[in-house]
Amino acid sequence: MAQSSTRGTGFSSTSQAATGRAYPNGNPALGYNPPGVRNTDSAVPLHRSKPVTHDYACEGPAPGSLSFRWTYGSNVAAKNRDPRVQVVQYNEDTFVLRQNVCVHWEAPFTYLLFGNEGALLIDTGATANAAHYPLRETVDAIIARWSRARGRSKVPLTVALTSGEDVAQNQGLVQFADRPGTTIVPKPLAAMQRAYGLTNWPAGTGRLDLGGRVIEVIPTPGTHRDGVTFYDPYCDFLFTGDLLFPGKINIGNDGDFVASLERLQTFASAHPVKWLLGGHVEMMFVPGKYYPRFATYKPYERVLEMTPDLIGDALRHAREVRGKDMMLIRPDFVLFNGVSPDQRTPVWPEGVPNINPPRPF
Amino acid sequence: MDRRSFLTYNAAAAAVPLTGMALTGLSRAAVAASRPAPIDFKSNLPAAGTFPDRWICGSPSCMDNTDPPVQVHWYNPHTAILRQNKAYSYEAPFAPLYFGNERVLLLDEGFVQLRNDWDLRGVVDQCIEDWCRRNGRDPASLELLVAFSHLHADHYAATNQFADRPNTRYMGLTHEEFVGFWGMTNFPEERVTLDLGGRDILIWGSPGHVVSELAYYDSYSQILYTGDMFYRGRCYITFWEPWFESMKRLIAFCDTHPVTHVMGCHVEISKDGQDYPYGLTWQPDEAPVQMTVQQLREAYAYAQTITEPGIYFTGTVFLCNQTRGTTTIDRNPYRYT
Repeated sequence: MAQSSTRGTGFSSTSQAATGRAYPNGNPALGYNPPGVRNTDSAVPLHRSKPVTHDYACEGPAPGSLSFRWTYGSNVAAKNRDPRVQVVQYNEDTFVLRQNVCVHWEAPFTYLLFGNEGALLIDTGATANAAHYPLRETVDAIIARWSRARGRSKVPLTVALTSGEDVAQNQGLVQFADRPGTTIVPKPLAAMQRAYGLTNWPAGTGRLDLGGRVIEVIPTPGTHRDGVTFYDPYCDFLFTGDLLFPGKINIGNDGDFVASLERLQTFASAHPVKWLLGGHVEMMFVPGKYYPRFATYKPYERVLEMTPDLIGDALRHAREVRGKDMMLIRPDFVLFNGVSPDQRTPVWPEGVPNINPPRPF
Repeated sequence: MDRRSFLTYNAAAAAVPLTGMALTGLSRAAVAASRPAPIDFKSNLPAAGTFPDRWICGSPSCMDNTDPPVQVHWYNPHTAILRQNKAYSYEAPFAPLYFGNERVLLLDEGFVQLRNDWDLRGVVDQCIEDWCRRNGRDPASLELLVAFSHLHADHYAATNQFADRPNTRYMGLTHEEFVGFWGMTNFPEERVTLDLGGRDILIWGSPGHVVSELAYYDSYSQILYTGDMFYRGRCYITFWEPWFESMKRLIAFCDTHPVTHVMGCHVEISKDGQDYPYGLTWQPDEAPVQMTVQQLREAYAYAQTITEPGIYFTGTVFLCNQTRGTTTIDRNPYRYT
């Protein structure tokens, strides 16, 4: 941490500065963090004697960074040599994993959250074969490293899905079948509802307590009949899965979809939400343009995170497509209701710049 | 002086002063003695050949695909059929390579451009070398014609790999060059004959999928190659009337000529008639590429009943009449009420 202490001290000179006023190795008179910054201290003390307990209550969202480019496949998929599972650490207790596009074109995102008493894996990827997609191995390695840092010998893992029926998210589940100390939220709808205590589906919310970090489970059917959204009050994230993500949203039932977005909006107005993190990215970085299905080379992807105001945008346009077989393009997502997932439309949204993205070949 | 005669001229000019007349005469005789008799492509027709039971058809994980970039299948000793690996491009077109006594015809390529991404040129060179070794020829003596069925990038993308190949001619990428390459003056009705050296290829226009499209008939194996205008999958018909006229021409041709197989450029359908959506890179149960004349006739009969744009299944192929490029009959599997 001492390395960062020269930041914000007003010096931009190098250590060779003749004045001797620069502190190339850090000004010892300053605190470890620049003034005004919170929550950036490591939760891990240097010399710990007992398991570290982290206080997950904080003002505002826990800081973190997703500023790392996602691997995006390659023109010749057979020659791709990127990692099969890309791991990005958002902060000390939050990991974002992405499946390589050249292993499976869906390239789903998987989230691993830690609390004082356990870890939660949200979604499991689109490939069951561990040789192609070593999710279990990667998660085990992250947990082992994390538990060593926190001085914990056991970290119980819960594996939950944003939708049990979605083959782009449930395939990796089999890799965890025999894992010790693991709870798998069952896939069938009724069993899943029981596991979360959602007796009044789709109303009410369930809870997953990771120890100081209580994840809320919000029923959000619409794209899948068993869709749920997870809310993390530590990072202020909504993990929306297939319900709302920067890509082609294939609506399963438009009535449920609108109702779920309404519930989500109500929830977001009552709780602080920093970002929505979905299950995939299919949009390009220019508004309203998206990659086709099965694409294994997506060099111009939009970023993963969506701001909460997009719930309102989605809701408005979900109401517009309700009851109609049509697709509707928005800058950050595309809605498909009752049409083929490959449907195309000549209708371009008003007020959105129509930019032709670069075409790789 | 064109490139070819320039090269031969230099070789002759260099040989004469160095070796003298006697030696030249001797080597000429030696060459004449060792030159094998030309292969007879005109009797015992159709030449027997086989298609593989199963083509290499992708893999569940593209980056774990260890198949060769191009699958080479020898239909018979003088006909090779190449197919691009699905993990190199989802288009994975088929590309016949017809050998004659004097030239070789490569039809279509694949949807990858660069030689360091996939070495189509190397594969074709290797095929020619193998064939020459088997038949006692000199690969340099064979002319290679690089042609394609129509002007879409998945059929001509790799053309530049052949740009520096000696003794090679390739089609241009405009309609005029395309038609001029075969010396056609009355496209699409005119049928021209290409002589590969004892092996005739009949070529005529068959627009409909695009304007610039050709049908190729090999008189030796009697395979009718119909490009993207009629193939085992979704025939995207951009222009209905020209397409229907092209079908008529194909049927008329089949009435007057023996045809063993009708072959298209792609396969996008499973053995049990299930549609593989556009862009898929793993087709574990795909239908064979070759079709029978009967299947072509059935499709034509079906096409006669079509009056509206839409997607129609003839039992063999999907006829996508004026639907947009990637339209499939695919549905969202997670719809519920």
